[in-house]
Amino acid sequence: MQRAYMSALMELAEKDKNILHLIADSGTGFDEMFRRNFPGQMYNFGISEQLMTGAAAGMAIAGKIPFVFTYGSFLVHRAFEFIRNDICFQNISVKMAGMGCGLSVSTLGPSHHTTEDISVLRSLPNLTLLSPATPAQTAESVRTAYETPGPVYVRIGMNNEREFFGESYTPSISGLDEVITGREVVVFSTGSILAEAYEAVNLLRESGVDAGLVNVWRLKPFDSGAFLEAVKGAGLVVSVEEHSIHGGLGGILSEVIAEKGGPRLRRIGLADKFAAGYGTLERVRAENGLDAKSIYESITEAMR
Amino acid sequence: MLNYDDELKDLRRQIFLTARKGGTSHLASCFSCLEILYTLYIRHVMNFDPENPDMPERDRLILSKGHAGLALYTVMCRAGYLTPEKLATYLQPRTELGGEPSRRDLKGIETSTGSLGHGLPAGIGMALAQKMDAIPARTFVLVGDGELQEGSVWEGVISARAFGLDNLVMILDCNGLQKMCTVEETISFVEWRRKFEAFGWSVDEVDGHNVDELERVLSTGNVTGLPRLVIAHTVKGKGVSLMENNPLWHFRMPNRKESKIFAAELGLTQEEMN
Repeated sequence: MQRAYMSALMELAEKDKNILHLIADSGTGFDEMFRRNFPGQMYNFGISEQLMTGAAAGMAIAGKIPFVFTYGSFLVHRAFEFIRNDICFQNISVKMAGMGCGLSVSTLGPSHHTTEDISVLRSLPNLTLLSPATPAQTAESVRTAYETPGPVYVRIGMNNEREFFGESYTPSISGLDEVITGREVVVFSTGSILAEAYEAVNLLRESGVDAGLVNVWRLKPFDSGAFLEAVKGAGLVVSVEEHSIHGGLGGILSEVIAEKGGPRLRRIGLADKFAAGYGTLERVRAENGLDAKSIYESITEAMR
Repeated sequence: MLNYDDELKDLRRQIFLTARKGGTSHLASCFSCLEILYTLYIRHVMNFDPENPDMPERDRLILSKGHAGLALYTVMCRAGYLTPEKLATYLQPRTELGGEPSRRDLKGIETSTGSLGHGLPAGIGMALAQKMDAIPARTFVLVGDGELQEGSVWEGVISARAFGLDNLVMILDCNGLQKMCTVEETISFVEWRRKFEAFGWSVDEVDGHNVDELERVLSTGNVTGLPRLVIAHTVKGKGVSLMENNPLWHFRMPNRKESKIFAAELGLTQEEMN
């Protein structure tokens, strides 16, 4: 995902000298290449997320297009007031990328998990919120962030995500991409957990359920029309996210269904808790009910 | 033409009357940094053009201590950024002018402030952008001494030196007071010069109510490679004895009896007070 992010950013930085790559002592492995190719377009602020975010606002006001990059948790949770007051309130072109989102940093525990970023950011006016699931979507997110006026947040995982969409992928305008067609149960997934949701939906299909899978790439603005179209006639809608079930994708779908009507909803994510356990992402997902098997079981139970 | 003492008194009268009509303001904070703002705008220490507020080669000011927004709006009105009619809408229904300066509401406000500790990071971003574009202009950030308790200020203090921002000037409105008590009572060890010099800044000290002195110091450039702190020693509430150096007046308007003292000391007539 980082490679995809950086190659897309370098393509843009080549064309537009106002594009800046800002980091806070947590880079990508491609930073030196960026610095070599685009000297004067990269700044390392050191371990200072509030400063980096506030300075990005100052740069944007002065005509630059800064792309701020660091761990999602430090960016969103620590610098939130700067994102709110300096960037979103002023509706300026600061692009923010949170890396290692969800449970990606699985060995270090909740201090390094980014599992409430969607809920807190979603409440901010003017902000566009993108949540790519694969490298191709990450690259598209960078391009979309550049083309979208105003502030944009891109939520990026860090788990060697496999590609679902192929080289020639262009994201749907609605922000919803159907991965598996199915009508009885429709599963909506966002971010890198797509791989687990994909397996879970296949398990459902193997057991005879006509289950579908939709990847949600853009969380805000959310296309509720396209969502309602996708769930027409379904008996159950499921949200799957490496995030709290409060205010994230599950929250978005709840709000749409409560206001506009629609099928019953099962939210799968962290149910008002910090993630338990340490170790491989695979294991931490399993211990928190977010692996394919647990997702499958939760959906089967909800269908009863 | 008014001499500057009269002009500053006139500005204090206008701030007070505008605040009174609007209902409230952080008057003591406004009066503390008025001479600083006056020097930057009316003595033209800053290069700016109200007719062309986005002029790239302008100097930029960030009022990080946003509570003094009414002082900034009033001085900017005198400088030509807004009409007296617009200034008079302060806190009136559907106004664009509120208690904290907002970029949404007035051309010439470089960035919206209000929550403390945001001005220096934004100023660092602007100063870096000025350098990237080879614009020979400066960025001024006006902060309060209580505000220096915010951690984000110190992230900026470290970084401004690391980036060699010799186009950045932070002016410290050093009145020794914060909302509840004195700065010294709060943090005990108040040694700004030593602290900033230890962080590699160059430091000057001035009488923050002496416009000539402010002009002399603020007109000179930074030492090459160094960000600069100008400690302006000020009196919170300057100009009204009742308010001066008294934390009680952080966010308070005078009652009927106190208003008489304000009127007398600011030179307001009974008619102007009605």
